[in-house]
Amino acid sequence: MKSAPSVVKYLPLVVALVCFAVALLYATGATSLGYHLKHSVLFAILGVLALVGGRFLAKTQVKTRSRAGSR
Amino acid sequence: MSLVQALVLAVLQGFSELFPISSLGHTVLVPAYFHWNIDRADPGFLAFVVALHLGTALALVVFYWSEWVRIVRALVASVVRGEIGANPDERLAWLLVIGTLPVGILGVFLEKMVRHLFGSTAIVAGFLIVNAGVMFLGERLQRRQHEQQGRGLRPLEKLSWSDAVKVGFAQALALFPGISRSGVSIVAGILLDLDHEAAAHYAFLLATPVIGAASLLELPRLFEPAAHDVLWLSVGGAVISGITAYASVAFLTRYFRSNDLRPFGWYCLGAGLLSLLLLFGKVIS
Repeated sequence: MKSAPSVVKYLPLVVALVCFAVALLYATGATSLGYHLKHSVLFAILGVLALVGGRFLAKTQVKTRSRAGSR
Repeated sequence: MSLVQALVLAVLQGFSELFPISSLGHTVLVPAYFHWNIDRADPGFLAFVVALHLGTALALVVFYWSEWVRIVRALVASVVRGEIGANPDERLAWLLVIGTLPVGILGVFLEKMVRHLFGSTAIVAGFLIVNAGVMFLGERLQRRQHEQQGRGLRPLEKLSWSDAVKVGFAQALALFPGISRSGVSIVAGILLDLDHEAAAHYAFLLATPVIGAASLLELPRLFEPAAHDVLWLSVGGAVISGITAYASVAFLTRYFRSNDLRPFGWYCLGAGLLSLLLLFGKVIS
């Protein structure tokens, strides 16, 4: 079973990839709703935010581990 | 659309977008008062509206230019480092990002449906009265929080992340025509223990990316063939709307240093009631 930290590490990446895929689908009009620029831009922004959030989480984990190691 | 109509709509947009009186509500009610037969679905009119919003957003960016430069720099630095530092600008930048998400997500998915369902003159007048009620209630609750519960004021940077989400959701209420974006954001801010000046400051900063993004996404409308007929009206309208918005934000930032939302509440209550009376009397439609 995967440990909790590695799930936390990869979850934002997965979320970001899903967001980018949905953004692409809206941009190309491949969804049942057709072409939607606003939806596409929103999901692209959410994807970027998921990546940024993942980076923040990774940094927090490194700090937590280094604190635990120094004890 | 005549030159006079364009001029009135441009001034109205710049003025009412930032005053807590609902710009959307006024752009429905004022043409009804003057019996203007404006087709809101006409591509030319939509292009004109996009230009007005662009002018308003640019005015806000210009007014807070030095602050936006600091915020964007702090945000980039924070992303590069992968953490939020002690710099108040970094915290403010993320408060704005988090506060923008609710209205961004809800706006993209619900805006058309809400405006279609609640766009009639009577409903807009009703929401204007609700807007007044929200402002009166907000002021009353804030005074009670401070007088009876002894809660103190705090600076903008002390808002928590969940507080930013709350203000963001409050801002999303402005999807209803007649509910003011700045009004509900300021009410949410003062209920979270900001003073009026800080709440208005946060509301105006929060409004900038929303108005800017909405107009940028609609920018292609300005290049459609139907927009060529109203090109100069749109350019002139954007400039006038920008100047009016700049003057409005300059006035309001001073006003909220020592005043509250109640005068705007009285105005919205009066305008809403008068509109309903005129509608029932069939003077306007």
